[in-house]
Amino acid sequence: MTAMADLPPGWIMVLGGVLLPFVHKRFQAWAVLGLSIASAALFITTPAGEYGNIHLLGNDLTMVRIDPLSRPFGLVFHLAAIVSAIYALHVRDTRQHMAAVMYAGAAIGAACAGDLMTLFVFWELTALTSVFLVWASKNESSYRAGMRYLIIQVGSGVLLLSGAIMQYDVTGSLRFDSFVGDGGMASLADLSWPGRLVLAAFGIKCAFPLMHNWLQDSYPKATVTGTVFLSAFTTKLAIYALARGFAGLEPLIVIGCVMTMFPIVFAVIENDLRRVLAYSLNNQLGFMVVGIGIGTELAINGTVAHAFCHIIYKSLLFMSVGAVLFRVGTAKATELGGLHKSMPWTTGFCMIGAGAISGFPLLSGFVSKSMILSAAGEQHLLWVWVVLLIASAGVMEHSGIKIPFFAFFAHDSGKRPAEAPSNMLIAMGIAASGCIGIGIAYPLLYALLPHPVDYHPYTVTHVVTQLQLLLYAMLAFVFLVRIGWYPEEKRAEVLDTDWVYRKWLPAWIVRLANSVSTIDRALRSAGSKVITLFLQKTELYFGETGFFGGTWSTNTMAFWATLLLGTSLLVYYL
Amino acid sequence: MNDSEQPSFFERPRNVRMMILGLVCVCAGLAVTDLVYTNPHPHFAIESSFAFQAWFGFLAFVIIVFLGRCMRPLVSRKEDYYDGDG
Repeated sequence: MTAMADLPPGWIMVLGGVLLPFVHKRFQAWAVLGLSIASAALFITTPAGEYGNIHLLGNDLTMVRIDPLSRPFGLVFHLAAIVSAIYALHVRDTRQHMAAVMYAGAAIGAACAGDLMTLFVFWELTALTSVFLVWASKNESSYRAGMRYLIIQVGSGVLLLSGAIMQYDVTGSLRFDSFVGDGGMASLADLSWPGRLVLAAFGIKCAFPLMHNWLQDSYPKATVTGTVFLSAFTTKLAIYALARGFAGLEPLIVIGCVMTMFPIVFAVIENDLRRVLAYSLNNQLGFMVVGIGIGTELAINGTVAHAFCHIIYKSLLFMSVGAVLFRVGTAKATELGGLHKSMPWTTGFCMIGAGAISGFPLLSGFVSKSMILSAAGEQHLLWVWVVLLIASAGVMEHSGIKIPFFAFFAHDSGKRPAEAPSNMLIAMGIAASGCIGIGIAYPLLYALLPHPVDYHPYTVTHVVTQLQLLLYAMLAFVFLVRIGWYPEEKRAEVLDTDWVYRKWLPAWIVRLANSVSTIDRALRSAGSKVITLFLQKTELYFGETGFFGGTWSTNTMAFWATLLLGTSLLVYYL
Repeated sequence: MNDSEQPSFFERPRNVRMMILGLVCVCAGLAVTDLVYTNPHPHFAIESSFAFQAWFGFLAFVIIVFLGRCMRPLVSRKEDYYDGDG
């Protein structure tokens, strides 16, 4: 047992993934499920503590740290891996199965890393494995998106490695602890340079504003099952890392608030429902980042609880929209509608996910999000609280109403696809049960949280005010649709910051190259003209018939010699 | 779609009207709740204003949709915008 515990959790999945090509294709999907369950069993039975202490190249490394912060992330990552594996049981693609199981294993290993070097190794492994889930769509667009994703993700790893090396140089230790210190809220100025580099690395993976667009660019281009895996791990790993390293860092409150706000506006006009969900994911991360920034025990508990619930309901939403994509061949709102007639189970599961993310009482989002809002209230952060309320109304708009309404109701598209395959329905059913189960049996979730919990979500105030917010938002939707102000779905590409490196920068580089080439051409042409002119003049004057090169007559010579002698004589006498 | 297909429960105009009516009634009920119940531990003064989260939720939703409409001409392009070079 001890020897097993010394290996990073998730090792079974990473190693099993490597050996997967040796399994018959028909059993690979089942092998992924088996590996996930085996890894989960091992993780649950491993007691809290630090394992895998090794001395490598002069450094003391702690490969495994299972404590109250890493335990809930490890658990929910295993749960997500199992549910996603069930969802992907019909897939017969070795590459996807390998990528998915190794990616999930790497994320679990990273969440339980006790030092920055182990974290870096698994951090990069998540990037290198997950990109194959994007590439597995096998088209030009996903290939390009995958390349952009890989560059950005590996860039995040390089920043982390630089920060880790600097941290070792400054402190002599690679241990992954808080960079903020214990003295309450801290500002950026209080951070050391290694801390700032590591924060930037985490910020990229956490999709901070302006660093976010890899998420909306790549996730919707992955395969049906690949997106479900992707939605669970990378960003929540970053949330864990931020909670471990930067709890109480005040600027995170502002960053988190911006993250909750801007995606909701994009989500209103986005047509691709998987991209709407990617914006929604970004907005949910914002709530967690605010919690980490506030940094109190209630806020950190809220963040961890919200990450836990979020992984389940976001997987559920991606699974339901993925089932639609699988059956209909598109996830664009303009092409969908009326699917509840032939996909009733998927519709029901999607609505449970939509209710959970919106925070309806008795569903999981309610018991976790309200903790973060209460933490903002307890710290008397009025503007933060107001922003989070607006963002909650926004969640209701894009995930609570838009996703289920345009996919399954709205105008009838006339499409009557078959219900999702049974493995997909089972996976969605498990996730939906999770959403309801946590919403009702919330003490089970609270027992997992890093700090002791003294919080009761089902007070009259919480329930009434939350219902007011959500149902009046729904009323606003009905009102706007009735008066025709709700924007029609349109087939369109919505530009985001990726426009900078997909359009503006390449166009700018082409313009720069053209300018350089024009100047170069002009300079060469002018130089060539000067040389030609010089050669012509030289030939004119020094050629056989030229003034200097030609043969002069004796008379002329005698004349000029006489003139010269006469002039010198005159000068001599004067 | 089959022409002889019956409209589903959610498509019948009467049911849609009933659902909307139900929503309006529940919303009215939630507003009335505020007359008989006050938040015993408000963190902010604004929480004590009448049916605060109700009107705030309505207003926030309308503003978000309005902002989305305003953003559309700025960031919306044809679907093939990135084709070939992105």
